[in-house]
Amino acid sequence: MNMTTAPSVGDELPRLVIESVDAEKMKTMAALLADSNPIHWDVDTVRELGMGDQPVNQGPNNLGYVMNMLGDWAGGAERIRQIRVRFLDNVFAGDRLEAGGTVTAVGDDGSIDCDVWLARDGTHPVLAGTATLSWG
Amino acid sequence: MTSEMATPTVEELEALVGRQFPGGTYAIEPWRVWLTNDVIGAPQRIDGIAHPMFCYYAAMAGLGISIDEMFTLCYASADDGPMFGECDIQQLRPLKVGATYTVRGEITSAVRKQGERTGTFDIVAFRLEVVAPDGGVSSIVSNSFIFPRRSE
Repeated sequence: MNMTTAPSVGDELPRLVIESVDAEKMKTMAALLADSNPIHWDVDTVRELGMGDQPVNQGPNNLGYVMNMLGDWAGGAERIRQIRVRFLDNVFAGDRLEAGGTVTAVGDDGSIDCDVWLARDGTHPVLAGTATLSWG
Repeated sequence: MTSEMATPTVEELEALVGRQFPGGTYAIEPWRVWLTNDVIGAPQRIDGIAHPMFCYYAAMAGLGISIDEMFTLCYASADDGPMFGECDIQQLRPLKVGATYTVRGEITSAVRKQGERTGTFDIVAFRLEVVAPDGGVSSIVSNSFIFPRRSE
């Protein structure tokens, strides 16, 4: 979705929902990144580490969901000028995630500042930060 | 489990600042773009623009050392439980599918902290530039790692 009217401070960004994080896609990403950490694909290792009984999603995937949310809203992810985040908690296979944000500033140069977040079940934060986008 | 690596002195830690990475190149291959978009649920575009996550992938893959080597440089190993701190991505120009980018960068800060609950830990930050074939900087990626340290 691309909004036709300029955003205002306080606007809520349309949420992006990931109904269930897919363990198979973690395996693909592990191969793409040559990421040897077995927590992304070996449930036995996850259990041995006391981290639960589901594979752990790669942190960059979680950031990617937030970028997708911003791109859907702004008319393309290339409009993201800057994004700065902290990783607050792990995401596991099967988790339901919501990505969202709030407009915090609108610049004369067409820039839009937002607070952004990713949350498990829409309530438990797993990533939070800020983003600046180009508008129009 | 912790590594056998000794906790660096503050002087050794601070000496990391300014250390340059070997650097290298990263090609944004179309097949890699397709699979990445599929994994993270991004649209498959036909205009040749890569997802902005490729700013990060290019920077990390092109810095010239592995993550394990990065940990060793910072007097740690994966067994010490290093964690991501902040991740800051500036997309100055969208990356293009099919292009090969050059990556360069260095460690920009290294500080020791003491937490009441967490004990001693170090935060090491680095900055990487992703440079387009025409020499222009397309992206700047600044990351930090948090390294828990054993009590001294």
